[in-house]
Amino acid sequence: MNFVALLIPALFLALFCYALKKRVKLYDCFTEGAKQAVPLILSIFPYLAAMLILSELFSAGGLSAILTRFLTPFFELLGIPPEIAPLVLIKPFSGSGSTALLSEIFAAYGPDSYIGRCAAVAYGSGETVFYISAVYFAGSKKQLLLPIAAALVANFLGVVVGCLLCRIL
Amino acid sequence: MNAVFSVIFLAACLLFLLTKPDGFLPAMLAGAEKAAVLALSLLSVYCVWLGFFKVLERSGLSQKLSRRVRPLAKRLFRSDDEAALELACNNLSANMLGLPGAPTPLGIRATEAFLKRNNGYAADMLFVLNATSLQLLPTTVIALRLSAGSASPADIFMPTLLATLFTTLVGTFLVWLFARFRSPNLGHGTKRRRLTVKKHGGSRNL
Repeated sequence: MNFVALLIPALFLALFCYALKKRVKLYDCFTEGAKQAVPLILSIFPYLAAMLILSELFSAGGLSAILTRFLTPFFELLGIPPEIAPLVLIKPFSGSGSTALLSEIFAAYGPDSYIGRCAAVAYGSGETVFYISAVYFAGSKKQLLLPIAAALVANFLGVVVGCLLCRIL
Repeated sequence: MNAVFSVIFLAACLLFLLTKPDGFLPAMLAGAEKAAVLALSLLSVYCVWLGFFKVLERSGLSQKLSRRVRPLAKRLFRSDDEAALELACNNLSANMLGLPGAPTPLGIRATEAFLKRNNGYAADMLFVLNATSLQLLPTTVIALRLSAGSASPADIFMPTLLATLFTTLVGTFLVWLFARFRSPNLGHGTKRRRLTVKKHGGSRNL
């Protein structure tokens, strides 16, 4: 973790020195890049909003609870502890939601228990698939079912493998 | 995406109607509010990183760095668009370094560039690589475990790395497979398949 803390300022320092050597006008150049942030945010905002509204409805309405109950036996069959099923389900929708769930699991079962370790790996190996797809494909009329399905299947199999690895390693 | 949105939305809506109809609008507004707050924080994150990457681009360093992996990236994304490939390479390196927030603006711009040339395959590949991203250092999890009183918070490093390696391989393989089913004349049997895996192995050493 110390390494990561050092990495970012070191990267900035190295790049800006190199750029100065190449006679780049740092101030003009940096602001030119930063300017692109505004149209970018404007273009992704509606998709971001739709996705987060959907994720809120998904968890607050009890749909995620019902799905969890329904899928638990299936998860157990694949070696995923039922305690982490809600985490696996919410991860593709919401980063903050899954972080909250992970903390709850750590508090309830301990971070070093088998369940805690499985939860950590499930959290770490998964990505917020719907959020990434909403942002990356903002405004495109492309067919998204296949890439999203590919990402979801891969992430789910990753949880299965991760839980298995937690038992071995 | 329309299908996914409709199905989940209608199911959740129905559930609200049956169990707690007065919670529906507050939940929607809460979601929209989260989006507004997130958009503001993303605006600041993107400002910093887009400024950084503009300097990287202008100094010529970005081109220099991505030139080495260019042949691999060309095959991985099946694209000749130099500018888009450079963005995609930077996106993947930022991802692997775990720079928080940095990959997204690059990924968005690379996807736009790929789609402008109608290269849906490249856009899908980039999306899946991001959505199954390799985790070299799961910093959030380690920090959370530390604060929860774990004896060795970093010991999930190995299983996480292997699990994400696995997800990346499965994801890229599926994208390749879907592309083959959609236009079978694009691939060349097992030769293509071996290439995909090898390409990917190479791109990871960015």
